[in-house]
Amino acid sequence: MSMTRRRALAAGGAAAVAGLTKPLAKPAIAANEPILIGYLPALTGPSSSTGIGINRGTQLAVQEINDGGGINGRKIELITRDTQSDPTKAVNGAAELTRGQKVSVVFGPLNSGESLAVVPLLARTNTPQVHPCWVDSLTDPKKYPMCFRNAPTNQQIGAAANRYVVDVLKHEKVAVISDTTGYGTASVNAYVPMLKAKGAEVVYQGNVDAANPDLKPELLRMQSAGAEAIMPWSVNAGFLSRIINTRGDMGWDVPIVGQTTLGSGQTKALLEKPEYWAKVYPNNFRPVCYSSGGKLTDRTRDFLDRLKSAKIDMSDTLLWWIALGYDSPRMIADAMKAVGPEPEQIVGYLNKLKGFPGVYGDISFTPEQHDGYPDDEVVMVEANSLKDGAFNLAPGYSA
Amino acid sequence: MVQSIVSTGVAIGCIYALIGIAYNVMFSASRVFSFTAGTLGMLGGVLGSLFIAVMGLPVALGFILALAAGAVFGVVTEIVAVRPVLRSLDQHLYVLSTLALALIVQQFTAIEWGTDARPFPRLFDIARGAFDQQFWLPMLACAVVIIGLELLYRRTLIGHAFLAIAEDSYAARALGLPERRLRILSFALAGAIGALAGFAGGEMLLAFFGNAPLLTFYGFIPVALGGMGSQRGAVVAGLLLGLFQQAANFLVGGIFASVAVFSVFIIVLLARPEGLAGAGLQRRV
Repeated sequence: MSMTRRRALAAGGAAAVAGLTKPLAKPAIAANEPILIGYLPALTGPSSSTGIGINRGTQLAVQEINDGGGINGRKIELITRDTQSDPTKAVNGAAELTRGQKVSVVFGPLNSGESLAVVPLLARTNTPQVHPCWVDSLTDPKKYPMCFRNAPTNQQIGAAANRYVVDVLKHEKVAVISDTTGYGTASVNAYVPMLKAKGAEVVYQGNVDAANPDLKPELLRMQSAGAEAIMPWSVNAGFLSRIINTRGDMGWDVPIVGQTTLGSGQTKALLEKPEYWAKVYPNNFRPVCYSSGGKLTDRTRDFLDRLKSAKIDMSDTLLWWIALGYDSPRMIADAMKAVGPEPEQIVGYLNKLKGFPGVYGDISFTPEQHDGYPDDEVVMVEANSLKDGAFNLAPGYSA
Repeated sequence: MVQSIVSTGVAIGCIYALIGIAYNVMFSASRVFSFTAGTLGMLGGVLGSLFIAVMGLPVALGFILALAAGAVFGVVTEIVAVRPVLRSLDQHLYVLSTLALALIVQQFTAIEWGTDARPFPRLFDIARGAFDQQFWLPMLACAVVIIGLELLYRRTLIGHAFLAIAEDSYAARALGLPERRLRILSFALAGAIGALAGFAGGEMLLAFFGNAPLLTFYGFIPVALGGMGSQRGAVVAGLLLGLFQQAANFLVGGIFASVAVFSVFIIVLLARPEGLAGAGLQRRV
């Protein structure tokens, strides 16, 4: 049969259609080719203290996984893009990790401001994401089905503080104060109704400019209203230290219960007297706290030993940051070991994850719940008890 | 309560007054409102803490270096943000140029110093009391600056030259006065006064980059209320502002204190646009 030009075109067209409709064969991947994990920490810039702490744990975990043979014989390669504490740079980094580097999964960003910008982008590129950011809206299994949080939400943080004041300390009259930032006002608006629902009476509620040098009028107002506990919600160490100093100067010994920054080194540096830090109880996480007997859990003690033998500096950071950084790649690696590096398989695995034994906390997810941190592991601690990056549980908790 | 209103109110009022004086010294020499005045105050606190608490320099040396740095920043302001826009004062480009410079320095401080407030060292090793050094230091600084400026302007030749430039720069130049050099000196003087405000108020305001916008806004109010260019007006209005703000903190509290302050500010300006101590505008016909 002679091949006319029309027949040749028809045959070629049919072959092309057949080729297009058939799934493309996947390129062969060498058995030893590394698995790429995208990583978006803030290692520089104003929000970098958290990122630097988390990074120490992340690097240790990746090193241990690779030293232990990797994931089914393949090494992990962490592709790091420093966000420089800047949401714009975090977005650029996320775009490059997904489109340029074609990573299998992304860990980060590590603070909420950056995650608010990055989470929708990663959702559009169908990239599995694990992040530890607290802003409630940063997980939503319907909008962001591939995004998982292995840390508490702001709701859990506030609820733990409220539980401590009302259920443990048995105080009924509470003063809630914040600075005028979005975080501060949103926290007060969210936590005050939760307190009232628990039966507490909020005798003072206020938002104050964080730069206000004199908070005595506010504390006098709280005192005259009969407040039995002060709950400040702010990440501004200057604002928090002024509350603590004013309480000390007034000789008023009510407990101060609230955000983790109450226990930070920056807050401590601004105290007029070291003893003013007594009866200050910031949020923290039970698995990385000393019990009333001064002991850590076996799992955490082993982890501390590993940190010491790896000569990881603990003097300028917090244990829970390192633990969180350590757990995240291990959780991702466990998923890949079980189901491989394909996005859908990783998400399917995480959707059924139950009790991943992290140093920072036991993480569980369901298809409807992508906030994996358990409520009862969010606790309050004694701010003035910092040792090796960890705090004592606040008085009143069972061991 | 009254003691707290008076001690804190007068102290913070003195800081506002000093920033207002810095505004006025720059304004008198150039007819420009340089919005770097609050940044000077912030730098006084941050550099004082850097030199004394971080670098461990003696208090006196740290004090001198902080004021010298303020003076240098004043000169830089004149060269970078004021001189280029002097020919088009009627377009008010100085608002943009001085605000831009202030923002650059503020952001640079945030990056290098950090966004958290850091402690300012205790300048004198004496026990804390009701009338602590954090209150009387700004008052002392304000008194020294008021007396110093009075002596400078009334008893010295260079002070007379400053006044001549402030009165009529064209006539002063025609008489042979070195207007540009005097303007640079004025900005250096304003820089040192602004830095002194932040240094003296450091124990109260802490070493915090966020003090820059606070002092820029609250330091401008004494200038507007007291009358532009009037040092006495700035001092009186600054003290009144501090007392009123602190009283409002006690009486209404929270963010409503700021609302009260700005409400009174607007009402006073509506009643007396030229300021409390300013002369009414007169137009020759």
